[in-house]
Amino acid sequence: MNRATPRLRALAALPFVLALAVHLLLFARWRDELPAELATHFSVGGEADGWTGPTAYVLISTALLLGLAAGWTAFVRRRYLWAAFATAGFAGGLLVQLLRANRVDEFEVVVFSPGMDLGVALAVAVVAAGAGWALTSLVPEEPPVPGQEGEDGPAADGPRLPLASGETARWSKDTGSRALTVLSVLALAAAPVTLLVATWPDALLGLLGLVIGVPGLALARVRVTVDRHGLTVRSALAPRPRVRVPLDGVEGASVREIDAVGDFGGWGYRVRAHRTGVVLRSGEALVVRRDGGREFAVTVPDARTAAALLNTLVERHGKV
Amino acid sequence: MLFRVDPASSVPLGDQIAACVRGALADGSAEPGERLPAARELADSLGVNVHTVLRGYQRLREEGLIELRRGRGAVIVPGVAAPDRARLVSRLREAAAEARELGLTEAEFLELARTSLS
Repeated sequence: MNRATPRLRALAALPFVLALAVHLLLFARWRDELPAELATHFSVGGEADGWTGPTAYVLISTALLLGLAAGWTAFVRRRYLWAAFATAGFAGGLLVQLLRANRVDEFEVVVFSPGMDLGVALAVAVVAAGAGWALTSLVPEEPPVPGQEGEDGPAADGPRLPLASGETARWSKDTGSRALTVLSVLALAAAPVTLLVATWPDALLGLLGLVIGVPGLALARVRVTVDRHGLTVRSALAPRPRVRVPLDGVEGASVREIDAVGDFGGWGYRVRAHRTGVVLRSGEALVVRRDGGREFAVTVPDARTAAALLNTLVERHGKV
Repeated sequence: MLFRVDPASSVPLGDQIAACVRGALADGSAEPGERLPAARELADSLGVNVHTVLRGYQRLREEGLIELRRGRGAVIVPGVAAPDRARLVSRLREAAAEARELGLTEAEFLELARTSLS
């Protein structure tokens, strides 16, 4: 999983704990001045048009802050610590401004000024981001990703699979994500159900199920193949969509442990600054260095055999 | 699963393909119930004729290691016994090759096999 240290995680949780404490303290302090129903939703003009009881309000706001805290604590990276502080600052600032707006005489209309109050929340976020930025120096730099050293030389290092001169070989493996399969099938199943049950304009939402389910299912199970054409990754159910790196474009292949969230920011077909990837889980991955320095990664078991065969085929291809 | 064929070898290409599947099943890199690549696809990858691949698959089917189903392609037989069966078939083939080297006739080899059973 994520390589964040306990200290980094604690620092990421800190602003949310502070925001939660301040918000609950102010709520307790202003309890008597707050109306029986708190205005919690506002029209564009700032007029209140939605109300929530105090118990529900406290539960929902606390859950919101805790949820954000859990997300940031789980997925934080050192260089994004400031963003955790900014998130906490903005959420906390907004909640406090909401309480403040509710602190009025009984017959006055509750007004939440979008410009003013959002501005205050943003200002709090900026200050918090600054504090987070300053605190980043308390966390030691993350060690470089293992396996990224020694990137020079075409396929110089890396495993090999000895082949006789005329021998041909092919390696392939199906790999998938059960979670993605289940989610995609559910999304697909939701489409016809929504169309049947919901009234017409709302039923259009059911099409979302198709938009999510079809590509999801296509990617939920993929076949990774290494042969004389190069590296091919395609849906196990259909010949397309497909990603192919021809032997000409391969500089070398290696095996690396990949953290889906930390290295690629999630699952699926991922595009990053210097690398793309078909990432279905965290763990063993075949990483191909392409000419031009870009990397293509695919998470697959038995990646060592794949890398060895690919290196051997690239070397032989270069000789011919 | 890794497939490799060497045209320079004296072993027929179809048998080499069958041996790859047996080996993969025995060492765990292929699992019972796993689907083999489509014959056309595998033939293209290895640069051999489709019929060569189909001959290999047919041999595996006779050995009870895979099932050939219309529309579904070739699937390794499900069940925990499949890897052991693959190992047994491999050893039998080795024994047959050895018998051939020793100059035994088919009848003599079968007689020998029957004697070891009783």
